[in-house]
Amino acid sequence: MLAGATVIFLFVMTLLVLAFSRGPAPASAQADEAREKVWIVGLGIGFSVTVLAALLTYGLVVGERLLPRPGPEVVTVRAEGRQWAWSFSYADAPGHVTEGVLHIPAGRPVDVQVTTVDVIHSFWVPQLAGKLDAIPGHVNVLRIEAWAPGDYAGVSSEYNGPGYKDHVFTVRAHDEAGWIAFLAGGER
Amino acid sequence: MKDILRISVPLTVWLAAFSAVYGLEGLVCSHRWAEAGLSLAAGRGILLAAWALAVALQTMLLLVLRSPRFASPSGFARSVSLTLAGVALVATAWTLLPVAATSLCL
Amino acid sequence: MNALRRHRALTRIWASDPGWKGWFTTVNHTDLGRMFLFVAVFFFVIGGILAMLIRAQLATPRSAFVGPDIYNQIFTMHGTIMMFLFAIPLFEGLAVYLLPKILGTRDLAFPRLTAYGFWCYVFGGSLLIVSLLAGIAPDSGWFMYPPLSSRIASPGINTDFWLLGITFVEISAICASVEITVTVLRYRAPGMSLPRMPIFAWYALVTAVMILTGFPPLILGSILLELERAFGMPFFQVEHGGDSLLWQHLFWLFGHPEVYIIFLPAAGVVSMILPVMARTTLLGYGWIVAAAVTLGVLSFGLWVHHMFTTGIPHMGLAFFSAASTLVAVPTGVQIFAWIGTIWKGSPQLKLPMMWILAFFATFVIGGLTGVMVAVVPFDWQVHDTHFIVAHLHYVLVGGFVFPMLAALYYWMPHATGRKRFFKLGETAFWLISIGFHVTFLAVHWVGLLGQRRRIHTYDEGQGWEVINLVASVGGFVTAVGFALVIVDVALNAAVAIRGSRDPWQAGTLEWAMPTPPPAYNFASLPLIESRNPLYDDPDLPVCLVRGEGYLGDPSRGRRETLTLEVASGKPAYVVIFPTNTALPILMAFVTGGIFVGMLLKLYWLVPLAALGVAAIVVRWVWSLGSKRDEGPLEVGRGLTLPLASEAADPPGWWGSLFLLLANATLFGSLLFGYAFLWTVAPNWPPPNYLEPGLVGPALVLGGTALSMAGIRLARWKLRCGGGPWLGLLLSVVGAVGTGMAAGTLLLRTSFDAHAYSATIWVIGGYVLFHAGLVGGMITFLTLRAAAGYVAGRRVGEARIVQLWIDYTAAVALLGLGVAWLPGVLT
Repeated sequence: MLAGATVIFLFVMTLLVLAFSRGPAPASAQADEAREKVWIVGLGIGFSVTVLAALLTYGLVVGERLLPRPGPEVVTVRAEGRQWAWSFSYADAPGHVTEGVLHIPAGRPVDVQVTTVDVIHSFWVPQLAGKLDAIPGHVNVLRIEAWAPGDYAGVSSEYNGPGYKDHVFTVRAHDEAGWIAFLAGGER
Repeated sequence: MKDILRISVPLTVWLAAFSAVYGLEGLVCSHRWAEAGLSLAAGRGILLAAWALAVALQTMLLLVLRSPRFASPSGFARSVSLTLAGVALVATAWTLLPVAATSLCL
Repeated sequence: MNALRRHRALTRIWASDPGWKGWFTTVNHTDLGRMFLFVAVFFFVIGGILAMLIRAQLATPRSAFVGPDIYNQIFTMHGTIMMFLFAIPLFEGLAVYLLPKILGTRDLAFPRLTAYGFWCYVFGGSLLIVSLLAGIAPDSGWFMYPPLSSRIASPGINTDFWLLGITFVEISAICASVEITVTVLRYRAPGMSLPRMPIFAWYALVTAVMILTGFPPLILGSILLELERAFGMPFFQVEHGGDSLLWQHLFWLFGHPEVYIIFLPAAGVVSMILPVMARTTLLGYGWIVAAAVTLGVLSFGLWVHHMFTTGIPHMGLAFFSAASTLVAVPTGVQIFAWIGTIWKGSPQLKLPMMWILAFFATFVIGGLTGVMVAVVPFDWQVHDTHFIVAHLHYVLVGGFVFPMLAALYYWMPHATGRKRFFKLGETAFWLISIGFHVTFLAVHWVGLLGQRRRIHTYDEGQGWEVINLVASVGGFVTAVGFALVIVDVALNAAVAIRGSRDPWQAGTLEWAMPTPPPAYNFASLPLIESRNPLYDDPDLPVCLVRGEGYLGDPSRGRRETLTLEVASGKPAYVVIFPTNTALPILMAFVTGGIFVGMLLKLYWLVPLAALGVAAIVVRWVWSLGSKRDEGPLEVGRGLTLPLASEAADPPGWWGSLFLLLANATLFGSLLFGYAFLWTVAPNWPPPNYLEPGLVGPALVLGGTALSMAGIRLARWKLRCGGGPWLGLLLSVVGAVGTGMAAGTLLLRTSFDAHAYSATIWVIGGYVLFHAGLVGGMITFLTLRAAAGYVAGRRVGEARIVQLWIDYTAAVALLGLGVAWLPGVLT
């Protein structure tokens, strides 16, 4: 996307520079009509529509792929934001609540049910997925997946008052044995 | 004033149709839809029908604005209004395309 | 009469009061345009200082410069000031100054309204500045999401300053937009049909209509949030049936069109200046008009792209992603039309052109990053990071500030009548354009590295230190550049040498008048036969000064201009403008009482101030019109036209029409909110729905029918030369009935029990307010008729009242109908 944007930018700038280095062109109604065809119909409409249609298709396809579709492998957890902390609970271990650290199994899709008890927050683990807001009264579902065990940094990414900067959390992805141990109550 | 209407109506109809379909999609995905005993497939069907209706409406507008009875007497207003009617038709087809292309309520 | 004597006579009629008093009583658009621009720049300086504080804070990690409490106020106020107190008013100022001049008329449609809007802007903006100085400024971010901005999370007065101050300022945007719309549609030089309008007028028209339909959702949102904060009406509180997402929808329903409201005037400026700088005419005028209209409407279908991360289903997001990519097409059409224009001409690299080139480079990047964030998965990553901050600055600074700097240097010789002598502007150009790109390229980068927006500081070791420092240095270079521009303008306005009348050899009418412009603009109004009248006839200015156009005879001693039929450019009627008055500033001051009363919780002041406003409005409107028919007037060149007061569609009717468009959008937003809560809010249905009963529906059906029939009877009687009294009586009885029907809603629900009943209250209150309003209007009309102002051919006022009665009937039937609907269904 960045490369494409750079190419388009350079293309437009080149046209501008060329426009300056040319001498005066013939002025007549017919000449203007021909120019409108090139500049407006060709470049303005034709070029823009082609690029944008491709981009939109790409965006929708990727967007569809990231959706939280149900499946046998999916693990469900819950993230509840408040000013300025996060607590997490687990469908596979009822009653088990962790503060500031979300435990997930590595290599399996995880649906995070994001919600809040006070103002709006946003759940964001940049390495694992995009962000999703926690909105009072709503439960939004975000699909994340960690490929390798380890700790991933998470932040709140919707401004939520004076404690915003330090409103962070950690996602800890376990290997299979670690996940079973966690569910059994091994780590809090 | 009639020329101003000729220029502004097609895209306004697009906006109304776009908002209505978005609202309809919200309704289909809300708990009220399930409570009324309706399925998601029915929702998809209604959304597709709404899209088709909107496209048909825009096509009709385009034809009406071309017809001698409703076309503007001024060449300028006629060409701008026809361009905008074409834009509105494309916009309707383009922006409501997701009713056929994406998953519903996920 | 020679040119000099005509000038003196016209100046006597049109000039503002001498001395300091003139500032407060002027209704002249040239004065008010300059005042608007000056105040907007003043706020820009404050907003700029806040920006520098932000960059100072972020320059180093773990900065101890300010803490989060102050920092949150700073960034909130920076955004708020730049959006509401700088960008929109700057457009208003430019349009107020320029429009009558490029359209070839003598003032805007409603001169006193211009002044009223200006003073509302000054007073409302001052409220916000007071809060800033007192350290109790809004601190929830410029889009004020509840519940963070609700009473629970923000108990202080900070948020109230924002809600009330901004709503006060928005009165000025609505006033200016009504004014601009009516002016562009009706107040032009004879012969200026739609395709002969200068392109800026099209852009101003589209922008004004967008303000009329884009601002009401925010005004409604602000009213609802203030009602929640003041009286506990739970529109946004989920536990009582509200939903905080409703605010986001209302805010961005305004907020996205807002971006184009800011960009379109700038595009209009580029379309005016660029052809002149390229010594040619604009390529694809019709295409550009179509592109501007397309942008204007499409921008209303983008709002959810600010809410891609709120958990809306993917199909919903996809609609807005598709619309967001589509909106780039008309933008592309304009960009390529401009490049094509340069291509066909012989461009000259003067300072305005340099700013346009800076606009191209910056805005194209901003547009491309904009298309990127229209792609949903990409936005999920960069949303609420500094990438977005950089994107929006590229769009707003590149797409608005740079073209406005081009406009500044292009029209400065017009406003001052002087030739630029000191060349600080070129230095400033390089400082600003380089400084800006250094700053915001860095900000893009640090955003991609994950730096969130609105954090008050950051820790070392994330690789952000150097980038932020570079951004801050760039920011200070930019600020020095802007300071230099201000110095440059001040110097050149004060001491530079006199310049020629048309320094750029442009073809549009603003250059067909002496500079600096006289109070009356044109000594006589031209007959227009093409888009660039000065290219057809270079002697036009001389002819106009000699009084060879229309209305060149000042002997009637009043401020006269003429209006056209909308499309054809055929002259329609003569308008007599009001003279200098202190009523606008007085009314703005009293209007302030409503807002200050709410702010300080002095609720007794609110109805008192509202009554004061009503009294001033009566005084204001009473002064118009005449007690006898004058018949057709001689307007020069052998043409006779009737007076506006004797026309079927006086300016007030047109003004009402567009004010009602804004009003209808507000009401529509309210119904949208109701439907939204009904569909989406978690804690619905409410414990019980309101039952309509029989009395309410009977009252509203009978009342609306009676008031609509009554005013028609009155108008029929007036046309036949009879007394309108019976019709007016029926009409006022109908209004009372409608009001009572709305009253049943208030009596039978409790305003703070549930978001449902709170909404019912607002709908009922809205209808009740309008019933009272038209009741007052009918009473006023009765008094006018009794005093002899409404008789003979002078019956336009009755038509205006009918418009309001019909609107009220429509909203009463619709509003009360949907209020009762759930009760009927269950």
